[in-house]
Amino acid sequence: MKALWQRLAGAANGRPLSAVRNPRPEQVLRPVRPSFIWATLGGAFLLNLLPWGHALWIPDFFALVLVFWNVHQPRKVGMGIAFVFGLLMDVHNGALFGEHALAYTLLSYGAITLHRRIQWFPLGSQAIYVCGLLLLAQLASAAVRLWVGGGSPFWWLGLLSSALGAALWPTLNSALLAPQRRPAKRDDTRPL
Amino acid sequence: MEYGPPPLFNQGVSARARLAFFSLVAAVLIIIDAQVNALDAIRNGVEILLYPVQRVLLWPRDLALDIGAHFTTVASLSVENERLRRNAVEQAQQVQEAAQLRIENDQLRALAGVRQRLSVPAQVVVALYESRDAFSRKVVIDRGSRDGMRAGGPVLDEAGVVGQVTRVFPLTSEVTLLTDKEQSLPVQIVRNGLRAVAFGGQEAATLELRFLPANADIENGDSVVTSGLDGVYPPGLPVATVLHVERDIKDQFARVVLRPVAGASRSRMLLVLLVEPPPLPPAADAAHAPANVRGDRAAPKAGRR
Repeated sequence: MKALWQRLAGAANGRPLSAVRNPRPEQVLRPVRPSFIWATLGGAFLLNLLPWGHALWIPDFFALVLVFWNVHQPRKVGMGIAFVFGLLMDVHNGALFGEHALAYTLLSYGAITLHRRIQWFPLGSQAIYVCGLLLLAQLASAAVRLWVGGGSPFWWLGLLSSALGAALWPTLNSALLAPQRRPAKRDDTRPL
Repeated sequence: MEYGPPPLFNQGVSARARLAFFSLVAAVLIIIDAQVNALDAIRNGVEILLYPVQRVLLWPRDLALDIGAHFTTVASLSVENERLRRNAVEQAQQVQEAAQLRIENDQLRALAGVRQRLSVPAQVVVALYESRDAFSRKVVIDRGSRDGMRAGGPVLDEAGVVGQVTRVFPLTSEVTLLTDKEQSLPVQIVRNGLRAVAFGGQEAATLELRFLPANADIENGDSVVTSGLDGVYPPGLPVATVLHVERDIKDQFARVVLRPVAGASRSRMLLVLLVEPPPLPPAADAAHAPANVRGDRAAPKAGRR
């Protein structure tokens, strides 16, 4: 709390807030390749399709990658993609047709709305935002099922899945941003 | 960060408009799917597209299982072999008895003028995966409408009833397990013939008998079989054993918790009985709905109440 006040005070003194937040110079990212976006979205969807059984605590990998690209490339990955993949998920899981589609659409909207704010925070705080978004999607899906007339004693496992998903966020962030962090010029003496 | 010029004017449709559009479409789809089975054609199409991907993604798990099976020791194999041989001998005797009893039963039924009991054709299927859904218990099997599967068929394993085929795709089918909260089937207690309806239970992997009076004659360990009253499940299939009975003075009904007998072995081979869907009772609103539409809709819910 004290640190936060010092930061705000620093900002009021005329220093740019980004410099206060992050003392290191911010790296300018290279443009992302659309093929990479599609490959990661598809890969995450395939991870969801793996036969996990009734393990409800497994995080929803596709939702996580979707939030990532919504936050970082909101103009390239939007609600349409979320909706279509949601329908595919519905058929795979034998859920109501449109249930995951609705949840992913809401998730995508939330991520697009918050994308500037989320990028402002360090990764740990970003994960809290992401957890909130994933929970919102879970609740939307649960609300649909309750409205249709289902009930479940295991609904809280879904909350665990959101928390686990959020815990993966920092790792995911560094993994998916790695291709954009490559240096512009190839340096043969550099190991990476 | 992009290097292209920022689009100042051409931002496309606003995010809120998109949200409204897609949410509306999703809501309409949900309502249609919850009320009528009109979206089955689209669902079938999507399932056919997904099917090869799903099958390929089953390989890693199957490979792991195969490797695990490869390292099973000779000792455990010989134990299993011994057990299976003993089972075979025991069952041979039972089969002979059953054949004799069937003939005797047929003769008695003919004498008494009762309708003959028909034998039901069956098909062996393999369970592919269990769906990951907090609100239902479903298993996807590897046979679909192309192989003669039909919604409503009871699904058994070697111990007893597992569930019921509730949705049929061209290449796969969905089986709803008995432990699903929305699944129910008519049963009877072997010891005294008391009839009841079993529903999916509150706790994981349990069933419960509802609407039995608090003084009903049920004891722990009673075995429960299908009663066949619904015309879907053949009578006498083992379903569950009574785990415990709670009789509260204040409550009107007894709380009876059952443990299903099937599914204990985690076997992936299942048996689907290809029963004819039972004839529907004459509906009061038959004049409003064409008969064939009602028949199509009612078939998957034949075992549900």
